[in-house]
Order: sequence, then C-alpha cells, then structure tokens
Amino acid sequence: MWLTFEHVTKFYGPVIGVNDITCRIGPGITGLLGANGAGKSTLMKLASGQLRPNGGEVRIGDHRAWSAAAKASIGFSPDINTFYEEMTGREFVTSMARLSGYPLREARERAELALAEVGMVDRGDRRIGGCSHGMRQRIKLAQSLVHDPPILLLDEPMTGIDPGGRRDLSRLLVALAERGKTILVSSHLLVEVEQLTDSMLMIARGRIVASGTLAEVRGLIDDQPFAVRIVARPVRRLAAQLAELPEVLSLDLQDDVLTVRTLMPARFYAALGELALADEFEVERFETLDVGADAVFNYLQQDVG
Amino acid sequence: MKLARAWFTLLMLSFQRLLWSASTLMVLVPLVACALFLVYERYDLGSHDQGTFEETFDDFSTDFMIVVFTLFVIPVCALAYATTSIGGDREDRTLLFLLVRPIPRWLILLAKLMATLPLVLGIVVASFFVFCRLAGPVGREAFVLYLPPVFYMTLAYVCLFHLFAVTFRHSTIVALIYALFMEYFLGNMPGIVKRIAVSFYGRSMMYDLGARHGLSAPDPTWFVPVSAQTAVEALACLSIGGVLLALWIFSVREYRDLT
Repeated sequence: MWLTFEHVTKFYGPVIGVNDITCRIGPGITGLLGANGAGKSTLMKLASGQLRPNGGEVRIGDHRAWSAAAKASIGFSPDINTFYEEMTGREFVTSMARLSGYPLREARERAELALAEVGMVDRGDRRIGGCSHGMRQRIKLAQSLVHDPPILLLDEPMTGIDPGGRRDLSRLLVALAERGKTILVSSHLLVEVEQLTDSMLMIARGRIVASGTLAEVRGLIDDQPFAVRIVARPVRRLAAQLAELPEVLSLDLQDDVLTVRTLMPARFYAALGELALADEFEVERFETLDVGADAVFNYLQQDVG
Repeated sequence: MKLARAWFTLLMLSFQRLLWSASTLMVLVPLVACALFLVYERYDLGSHDQGTFEETFDDFSTDFMIVVFTLFVIPVCALAYATTSIGGDREDRTLLFLLVRPIPRWLILLAKLMATLPLVLGIVVASFFVFCRLAGPVGREAFVLYLPPVFYMTLAYVCLFHLFAVTFRHSTIVALIYALFMEYFLGNMPGIVKRIAVSFYGRSMMYDLGARHGLSAPDPTWFVPVSAQTAVEALACLSIGGVLLALWIFSVREYRDLT
C-alpha cells in the first residue's frame, strides 16, 4: 500500500509547516530526516490524519488520510510519551486492538503477538506509569502493530531506547518491511536512519530537499565542505603543515583551536594521521563538526533558502 | 460489526475511566455535605414546630431543591464528568490514540457522551433519592414530582459541558465559571435574559409541578416562569442542539486544536 502526498501544504496560522510536498512512499522502510522544526512531525500528523492539509491531498491507499477508513490501514507510533498510565502495557495494547474492532479473544491474541514482536511479553503486566522510557517506546510500537496495518508511521521510535533495544527494533522493522509493509520512520539523526534503510526523504523548512537512496543523498552532501576542529601542540606548526595539503580548503586558528575545512575528509584524515606520527604532534582533541544530520540539512537548506 | 465493537469498547473504556477518576471523589464531597445538611435540618426541625406539610414542602423546594440541588449539585456533578470525558483525554494527550483508530470522530465523541450520561444521571438521581428519603415525607413527595426537572437539567448540563469540552482548551474552568457564576447571574437577571440559563427552565418546571402542593411562585416582577411543557421542550432542544454542535466541532477540528 502506498502513502501519497500530492502538493501538500500546511499552515499553522501565518507559519508554514510543510510547503508543496509531493512524494509517494511505498513498501519498505523510508527514513524521514530533518532537524527540529523542519516539518517531520507535521508530515507525520498529516499522514496519520491528525491534521488536514490547507492545499493538496494526503492519501492512504485510495482513502484520504483524514477519513476513518484510512485509519484502518495505518499504525501510528507518536512522539508523545503519554498513555493511559493506570493500565498495564498488556491492557493498553489489548484495548487498542479492541478499539480497532477486534473481539476480546482475538484482541488478546493480537496484543500478545505485538508485545512479543517488541520484546515486552514478560514485562507486559507492569503498569505503564511505572515503565521506563524505553519500555514505553516499545508499548507505543506494539499498539501501532496490533491491528497488523499495511502502513506504519513511526515518529522518532528510537528515542530513549538503549543500544541493544535499537538493534532489536531495527531487526523488527526490517522484518516487517520484508513482509511488504510500508514504513515511514522519522528521525533527526542520520545515523539512526542509516542503520534501517537506504531510502530516505530529507526535509528542511517544510520542503523535501533530498530524496532517494543513501548514496544519492550522500552525493549531495559530498559536494559540501566538511569541517574538523583540532586541538593540538604545537598548533601553529601543525596549521602551517596542514596548509600545504591539497585536501585542505581553508584553515582558521582561534585561541589555539584549529578549524579545517576539506572537501575530501577521508584523504584529509589519512594525511593528518601521517603528520601526527611523523612530526610528533600532540593531538589533544579532534572532532568533526559536520557529521550530524543538522549539518547535512544546513547544507541542503542553502538550496531551499 | 467491527465499528460497532470498537465503538462499544470505547464507550465501556470511557465509562470505567470516568468512574474511577478523581471526578468521583470530587462529587462525593458536596453530595456527602448535602446529606449531612439534610440530616441536621430534619433533626433540628424535629425539635421545633415543623408547620404544615405545604409549608415544609415549600421550604424544602425553595431552600434545598432550587438553591442547593438545582443551582449547585446538578451542575457540579455534570461538569465534573462531562468536561473530563473528552477533556481528560485532551489534557493527558491520550486523545491521539483514539483519533488514529478507525472510528469516525463524531462517533468517538458520541461514545464519550454515552459513557458520561448514565454515570452522571445515575449519581444525580441516586443522590436525589437519598436526599429525599433523608428529608422525610416531604422528600418522598418531592422525589416523584421533581424527578423530570432533575433528569432534563442533568441531560442539558451534560450536553452543554461536552460542547464546552470540544470548544475550549480549559473547558473545566470555563464550565465551572459558567455553572457557578453565569448560571446564577443569568438566572437572576430581570426580563427574558434569564431564559438562556439552564436553571431557569429547571426552576420553572419545579414551580409549575410544585404548585399542586402549594409551592409559592416567586415575585412575578422578578421571575416569570414558563410552563413545565415549555421548559421540557427548551431543555430538550438545548441538549440536542448542544450535542449536534459538539459533534460537528469535534468532527472538523484538527488534533492540534484539541490539545
């Protein structure tokens, strides 16, 4: 089943949430990447029928996303962290199955399956009010899976989950995708999405600024300079030697902190390593400034702005 | 069939959550206070000259039924549950989990209303019955007579407060201000202004029905009641109109407007 956005625009009063977005999302995992306020949550809310577009149309299969019929085909895991706190995880997921129209016995069976898929069977009888953040994330995911929808909309599903849990969750999502489900996963961290899929949408200032495979998106990023901050001794001599390198685009030395920009980060790292070993520079700190998704969005936003 | 099952589940879920909510504790306080007041009054009256049945009936109707039960107990019980039924989900942000289920929005609100109504009616009628028993022979007569106005007023308040709940962000506060201040002031305004107050129609019904036991009508320059039939029609129209408007508002408003 396909999730379709056709020239979708959404305003919040005078502020634009998303601007003329057109895309089709089909079976498999698609990562929705964007900095905070970029429009990811608006897109998720439009897809889950919480918001209505001011222009264009959002469709779940053949139904408008706002309609009740479309809701039968989606499972939504929101970014909020509130539940019926007095319920246990098992009761909550069973209730959500029953609210999807299943009789009690089938709802219980489905809840068990969903809890098993997210690894919460043994902890399902704990009151939600006493659950950790990671457990709450799993319960949220279980309620989105319980009615076996063809489309899953997961808003920041990895937040608060420990590394082991992330690995389990990634495996689960990949397995669901292999069963033909359409999964849209939003995140503000590139590294989270990278582990899940090679298909992504990047959103900035309410517009899709890049889409396609990870390689295609990275291709766009590679045209942009990459910044590295170095604290080393003696820093002036290191700066002089780095300036000689063809990989270095520019150098900036302030308060003994050196900021280097390069278009070829891999070759620059190799050259820096060789210099440090050969000339015995003492590198105290070394950090890349542009590895986060925010930096990528900054690059891509330049095209939007 | 699936939709009916989902709707009934929502109704039952909402009923259980309301029943075990803080609202129940909140309404128990004034109800117990009223019961203690009536016990005290009866005991106290028993030691003095009680007057004729008509005089006692007039006192009970005017001092308790109109001032305490109509203007305070019914609106407080109605607002405690009616604003919580959908407002609680709004404030807790759990409404989202209902809105992404395959139940039309208007049916979600209808389930909430249908869960609230029997609960509030049950509490109001049961407490009314207990109060009347505590008041003695006068109360037993008043229960039979005043049950219709109590029923219609409760219905109207529940529907009206559901409308408040889908319209206003802080519906409990708005409903509280309305019930305890606006109703009182509007109901005591001169001329026809008082006709927009729910309590006006309830009181009109009581004066009309209580006349057979000698309940004296208030000063006509200040309060001109409508007939019991007109009051029933007005309260029924207010209830149905309020519900229809609430269902429409809830169907078209976006979730961000409801949180």
